Amino acid sequence: MDALDNAIDVQNLTVGYGSNVLLQNLNFSVKNGEIFVILGGSGCGKSSLLKNLFGLYQPLTGDVLIEGQNITTAQGAERQKIMTSFGVMYQQGALFGSMNLLDNVTLFMEEYTQLTRDQMNLLARCKLDLVGLLPYETYMPSEISGGMQKRAAIARAMALDPKILFLDEPSAGLDPITSADLDSTILDLSKNLGFTFVIVSHELASIYSIADKVIMLDKDAKGIIAEGDPKVLRDTSKDPRVHQFFNRIMSKDAA
Amino acid sequence: MPMSISDPISMSIDTPVAVWSQLDQSRAQVALSGVVNVYSLAGVWSEVRQKQTAWLAQGGGKAQSLLFDASKVSSLDGSAFAFLIDVEEAQQKAGGQFEIQGLDPKYQPLLQEFAPISNLFPDSTPKPKTGFVVSTGMAAQDLLDDARGLIIFTGHLTADLIWSVRHINQVRWGDFVNAAVQAGIAALPIVGLVAFLIGVILSFQAAIGMEQFGAVSFVGPLAALGIVREMGPLITAILLAGRSSAAFAAEIGTMTVNSEVDALVTGGLSPIRFLVVPRVLAGILVAPILTLFADIVSIFSSMLTMQIYGIPFINFYNGMLAAVDVEDILSGLLKATLFGVVVSAMGCLRGMQTGTGAAAVGISATRAVVSSIVMIVLVDGIFAYISYRTGF
Repeated sequence: MDALDNAIDVQNLTVGYGSNVLLQNLNFSVKNGEIFVILGGSGCGKSSLLKNLFGLYQPLTGDVLIEGQNITTAQGAERQKIMTSFGVMYQQGALFGSMNLLDNVTLFMEEYTQLTRDQMNLLARCKLDLVGLLPYETYMPSEISGGMQKRAAIARAMALDPKILFLDEPSAGLDPITSADLDSTILDLSKNLGFTFVIVSHELASIYSIADKVIMLDKDAKGIIAEGDPKVLRDTSKDPRVHQFFNRIMSKDAA
Repeated sequence: MPMSISDPISMSIDTPVAVWSQLDQSRAQVALSGVVNVYSLAGVWSEVRQKQTAWLAQGGGKAQSLLFDASKVSSLDGSAFAFLIDVEEAQQKAGGQFEIQGLDPKYQPLLQEFAPISNLFPDSTPKPKTGFVVSTGMAAQDLLDDARGLIIFTGHLTADLIWSVRHINQVRWGDFVNAAVQAGIAALPIVGLVAFLIGVILSFQAAIGMEQFGAVSFVGPLAALGIVREMGPLITAILLAGRSSAAFAAEIGTMTVNSEVDALVTGGLSPIRFLVVPRVLAGILVAPILTLFADIVSIFSSMLTMQIYGIPFINFYNGMLAAVDVEDILSGLLKATLFGVVVSAMGCLRGMQTGTGAAAVGISATRAVVSSIVMIVLVDGIFAYISYRTGF
């Protein structure tokens, strides 16, 4: 194992709730600076896997190493340090409803940095500018659309410029133009600033344009059924499930 | 040891990542070096900006050029861009020159995303203050709107209650049972506890005064009458307001926030019939029952208390029978029923008026309790006037 190369290492991870096992014995790693996409049909445990990766839920068994540090066993200050090394965007945005967008982004800066109020505001405006929300900094989350809330949530996730960003369905519900803009921002951040992205997504167009590597999960197999470059998988995979997914074939035609 | 996870917070103390140097009156330089991030910039950022401001003030801004040297940077992140932009903006504002040197070309596309940088510095326009007259007018308008909302809601509720009586099979009896169990059976312990306490306090306080006139034997009838006519219904209603009205408001409020109420409306269903009617019916059922329970517990605790003053149970009982009629009990229960209606209806109304966001649900629950208690006082006042006039 090389801690320098891998942003995230997943070892023998079993994801589930109590006796309900969703995914069994997963092993994979995410390289530094990589855009890593998790695919799979609805209900196969993508979001649950993500929540295990960033330590919100405790895995049933196995370990998750973030930059070489085991998040499943870390406690206290050590755990907090790991937590500040990544940002998370939740599926529904999960913005703080009582704060405007700017305050949503500066909240974590207030807690973790020594910057002045003006500096934090400028930094937060830069983040909002990156996701195209600069004119809305004084809006409350309830006053903007769902797609805008998601983008604001990405800005908040980037507040401390973490090296790893977890995005849960970032482009779902966005119009094609905004979605393409977001993809180009993700690519910029990854290629130029070396951010590592772990993204759960269904948007095939977006996956082809940004993903360096995908893993595909399956509900029945309870594990990874395909791994690699999405375009290669689309063109060469012999697995009917993978073929069906990448080519958008209806289930009744697949059989 | 591999450089596994960077320790961002302690790293900021080492060497400064940005150094200001003034070459001469018209030229200065900011040199970035090392790992520039949101932690290492803290402090240095302000320092550089202060020196820049002083320098610009000295030279008057014009024809002063600043060189931003990024050639010694090992890595930088978004905060470094913000720092750069802040310095550049100050330079632009003063009319001076700004030049970046040695910045890795890979950072250029990201830097381009922020252009034009003046957008990042909005004019801070203070909010216009509203005058006394305007704010008074707005408050009055809010009050009128609220009254209007209440009247419309009462109309809808009455219509849907009548509809429910005529279509008894279409009432959501499942919701009714749930609400009745939550508001009724689950409330028995707290109602019993408070009722017991009220019985004790009422008779104790009365006994202290009455003892001076040798009239302790009248405390029983007095306390019993006060309990069945006033205290029983009132404490039950206030407890219902605190428990169930708030619960109804929070439940329906969350449904409003999640667009569940909208889904009922767009499905052509009346949210009042679906959500409010079962809860109001539950309120109508449980309020008098809880009141009767509170009456019994209170009178029992009063009886126990009067034992201390040497009044036997039987004397208390006989005195009570002489003072309290069935009419008094019915009057109390009727009032309790009205309280049940207003408390559950106010909870539902405030729930349906919920705005958006998590905080709105909390506000609705608070408003539900306050409005319920105001309505209880109002109903009690009207009822007192009517019973004074009619003798009921």
